[in-house]
Amino acid sequence: MDVKLRVQRFDPEAADPKPYWEDFTAAIEDNGTVLDALIKIREDTDGTFSLRCSCRSSICGSCAVRINGHAGLACKTQAKDMLVDGVITIEPAGNMPVIKDLVVNFDGFWDKIMQVEPYLKPEGPEPEAEYIASNEAMLHLSDVTSCIMCGSCFSDCTVLEVDPSFLGPAALAKAYRFTADPRDGDENGVSKDRLEELNKPSGMWDCTRCMECVQACPKSVAPMDRIMAMRDQALQAGFHNTNGARHTEAFSDSVEHSGWLDELRLVPKSVGMTNITALVGYAPIAIQAITHGKMPPIIHKKLPQSKNIRKIFDKVEGPEQR
Amino acid sequence: MLEHDVLVIGAGLAGMRAAIAARAGGASTAIISKVHPVRSHSNAAQGGINAALTDRGDEWEDHAYDTVKGSDFLGDQDAIEVMCKAAGQALIDMEHFGVTFNRDDEGRLGTRAFGGQRRARTFFVGDFTGQALLHVMFEQLIKSGVRRYEEWFVSSLIIEDNKICGVMALEVRTGQIYAIRAKRVIFCTGGFGRVFEPSTNALICTGDGIALAYNAGAELMDMEMVQYHPTTLAGSGVLISEAARGEGAYLLDKDGNRFMEKYAPNMMELASRDVVSRAEQTEINAGNGVDGCVYLDCRHLGEALIMEKLSQIREIGIDLVGCDMIKEPIPIRPGMHYAMGGIRTNVDGQTNLEGVYAAGECACVSVHGGNRLGANSLLDTIVFGERSGNHAAAACRDTDYVEFDVDKAVRNEEKRIQDFLDRPQNGDRIAAVRLGMGESMNRNLAVYRNEEGMKKTLVELKELEKRYETVPIENKGKVFNTDLVFALELGFMLDIATPIAMSALDRKDSRGAQARTDYPNRDDENWMKHLVIKKGASGPELSYAPVSITQWTPEERKY
Amino acid sequence: MKYAFFPGCVSRGGCPELYPAAKLICEKLGIELQEMPAASCTGAGVLQEKNELLGDTLNARTFAMAEALDLPILTICSTCQGVMSQANHRLKNLEYRAKVNTFLAEEGLEYKGNARPKHLLWVLIEDVGLDKLLSLVTRPLAGMRLAPFYGCYIVRPTEALEFEDHPERQDALEKIIETIGATVVDFAGKTRCCGFPILTINERNSMAMVGKHTSEAKDLGADAMITPCPLCHLNLDSFQPKAAAQAGRPIGLPILHMPQAIGLAMGLSPDAMGLKRHIVSTKPLLTKIGAGAAS
Repeated sequence: MDVKLRVQRFDPEAADPKPYWEDFTAAIEDNGTVLDALIKIREDTDGTFSLRCSCRSSICGSCAVRINGHAGLACKTQAKDMLVDGVITIEPAGNMPVIKDLVVNFDGFWDKIMQVEPYLKPEGPEPEAEYIASNEAMLHLSDVTSCIMCGSCFSDCTVLEVDPSFLGPAALAKAYRFTADPRDGDENGVSKDRLEELNKPSGMWDCTRCMECVQACPKSVAPMDRIMAMRDQALQAGFHNTNGARHTEAFSDSVEHSGWLDELRLVPKSVGMTNITALVGYAPIAIQAITHGKMPPIIHKKLPQSKNIRKIFDKVEGPEQR
Repeated sequence: MLEHDVLVIGAGLAGMRAAIAARAGGASTAIISKVHPVRSHSNAAQGGINAALTDRGDEWEDHAYDTVKGSDFLGDQDAIEVMCKAAGQALIDMEHFGVTFNRDDEGRLGTRAFGGQRRARTFFVGDFTGQALLHVMFEQLIKSGVRRYEEWFVSSLIIEDNKICGVMALEVRTGQIYAIRAKRVIFCTGGFGRVFEPSTNALICTGDGIALAYNAGAELMDMEMVQYHPTTLAGSGVLISEAARGEGAYLLDKDGNRFMEKYAPNMMELASRDVVSRAEQTEINAGNGVDGCVYLDCRHLGEALIMEKLSQIREIGIDLVGCDMIKEPIPIRPGMHYAMGGIRTNVDGQTNLEGVYAAGECACVSVHGGNRLGANSLLDTIVFGERSGNHAAAACRDTDYVEFDVDKAVRNEEKRIQDFLDRPQNGDRIAAVRLGMGESMNRNLAVYRNEEGMKKTLVELKELEKRYETVPIENKGKVFNTDLVFALELGFMLDIATPIAMSALDRKDSRGAQARTDYPNRDDENWMKHLVIKKGASGPELSYAPVSITQWTPEERKY
Repeated sequence: MKYAFFPGCVSRGGCPELYPAAKLICEKLGIELQEMPAASCTGAGVLQEKNELLGDTLNARTFAMAEALDLPILTICSTCQGVMSQANHRLKNLEYRAKVNTFLAEEGLEYKGNARPKHLLWVLIEDVGLDKLLSLVTRPLAGMRLAPFYGCYIVRPTEALEFEDHPERQDALEKIIETIGATVVDFAGKTRCCGFPILTINERNSMAMVGKHTSEAKDLGADAMITPCPLCHLNLDSFQPKAAAQAGRPIGLPILHMPQAIGLAMGLSPDAMGLKRHIVSTKPLLTKIGAGAAS
């Protein structure tokens, strides 16, 4: 089967280096992957075309590129499924500077991994034999440690797009791999020092829950789900003093007591009722809302039967379930 | 000047383990790799790592015997003893480093059965054990303070008066050439799978280190012993783990018969790999396969087990051949997988070149002999990686750097590379020459071999070497010039293809992975010995070395 | 055509103009809406970060109520759609569903697994049909350039949203835009995040997102942006002036909730569609389509 590809090229050594598009046709097997096609281009058509690739079986993490605008592993993607109007569009992974063609600079990616001190830090003495841990706990962790550091999540992260200081999905998932490890941290497996760090700005609360990382991840690591679980760990470990924690708790409180969201009170509760500067900052928005008839009702009415909702909170949040 | 007591080349499991050990031993240590460490091919080991844990009632001697038998009695028993004795601690070390091994009901490390072993002693993380180990090893590397040269390609060695002085390396991102001085160099560059086409090996497995060492005068050993894995996927030939059979999967011919009962009535699908691959090839040759494949049937294992323990290979089947192993058997065939042979070393990784070490797949200790047992390769990398690192660090303490003219070395290498780039553009493409080599090797040095075929390949390799001299490099740039890297890699592959074929042609018996139709029996009287090959003035020179036998007398092998 | 109506919180709270607009166009389309006054908030993904089981239980409760009415669920909020779809996806697991049902038993509810929550966007295409919509278009938005803004929850993760069974969901909004006679302005940010979830957590980043997407669409010549999500609408509209100030450039791109744009094309008055309650003025837009400025 012949597949047409539209590939973004970049030669940093050109007289006027800037990205440009080039069209190629590659002959591959009917069930060939996007990577097969890219390798064909390199081997048979244009030796100057650069990309990283190695294992061809979704385990080395080298060949993450944007396929039709979304990050994924070229070796895990069947070419025939990706044809849009007969063409597959290939760009380098996002949120990383391009070195050449599809090769991007991972330095920023790895810097963030390093920031989470990515190695096990048990606080107690090591046992002579293995640590005793449940299979369930290990299987849960293995879902996260199956991360191959391909950068797909990093590429498509909407927060990194506007804020390079954000730790990002890969590093946060890596951090969760330790905060959720019964061997890491204190004798109960609580990694309080890590959670304290991750609780800071640019950490777990800066994720905007857009799910790009969940969609992009080729290994079902679901980074965002790990970040959400980590937020719960932080709350459980007693870290309440962030806008994020306050937002979550105020939101939860509102639903628990009225059944729905009390938007009017959510904002001040999130930034902190004593945070006068921030509250004053919202005043113009509030005035604007009032003048445009958009102010949420001052009196937040409870839903009918809202006590039933409260009962559910009691049951699910109760000690038995926790 | 870039300068380190110990320089490890290759950052897979063996390399990182060696570097961590050397650093812990007090040596200033660096690791250099043509890819980022977590991209290394150790990733691809799926099924697990073997160790006999005494607190499970297992004994290292039993593991050693299984390994010796698996090697078809060509493995060096003294080395095998070292590996199997060290296995338990190596495993526990990895657990303490943070590997998320699957557990048993009591929360202890769980095991699965694996080929050629009489009891389940394979410890695992789902079906991505290598990846789990590799990433944890990288975590420890970060912690250790070892200097990392990531995406640097070692293009040649610097040797003065037969002593290693360091290496020349190309920083791929910039195209700059550097000399790196070192007192001790440890090769952990992995196997040479891409010499064959197809292969389960990653595209980076081009035998660079073996070729560099060989060209510098190192002895290679057991090069004829090339493992064909029984379950590689139709088409691309990527690996489908032995873990599938370890968990109970069947091999079926086109009519649904479990043909292994004819070949290994006791162990069935879990006989050693060479036995199973030969059985499959025999069936396929007899017309009992479909499109050159037989089937791996996992359906009876059930969805829950497959999702917990074999999820990655299931995905590979879906992604690459559109086949879901929960619902249907998947087409597989024997495929080139592993090099038992490599740079000849002792149990501390030392080679015949002073200051040069090797560990992992690029080395030949020899713990695998004629055929490696599944899940012994991860063990090999960790045990001998660590031993090499320890020994090299200790050896540095009272050694000085060997002086050499750095500027001259850099100039010479720059010129050599520039000459490459300046070649005329009228030769065959790199890929065409590589494919010619790979297909010739796979045609004549596969599961079954004979003199005629191997001689033909040797002739073809000569022609390919000629064609290689004029392969053009289209990319003239400096930044991330993969075209140049592939050309250099192809040179390395051609350097070792001939030693592989020559060794195989010389061994006139069938043993382990070498099955010759013209010499179908094992001949202990004449061939219970290692083949050693070394670069001489006028080409490869073969010699023989005895096999170490400590406590297990060679016997007929039955599974 | 009757549905159990799940409007979500924002269309009744922070953007109260959206709820009546949606009700009006549903009426025109012959969609009968049965309110579920006791149905709670979906948790919006926020509750889920605290306790996923809790969020799933609340959604199972809503699903059970709709099952009791024997009606499919219709929502006008992408976030609600996404969160409900994700919960429903997890609730396919029988063991998990049984556990969740134990929390509902006291209220006499049980979720049997049959709910199929659907956003109005999908209902229009899959149930009502674009032909029917077209037949109701009396004032085509000809010459108007609309940038579709999906946001996150109605496009990801595709598995929970059942995109494989419904490939038409991928470009549903573009189809709506074309049906109401406008021109699609395609832009990279259309499936990115509007920044609403981090508004009170990292306002700078939230504003950067608003600024990035609205100015991108504006620079491509869009007259307005159209979104199926009240939360996106809220952030992109109410906070656009602030985002523009942060970006240091004027933007001024009106943001329409999808029912508002449809209502305009159906000839409903700008007032009825709540357009005067927008922060970014909709006047130039209305002039362009000849609907006159909202009074």
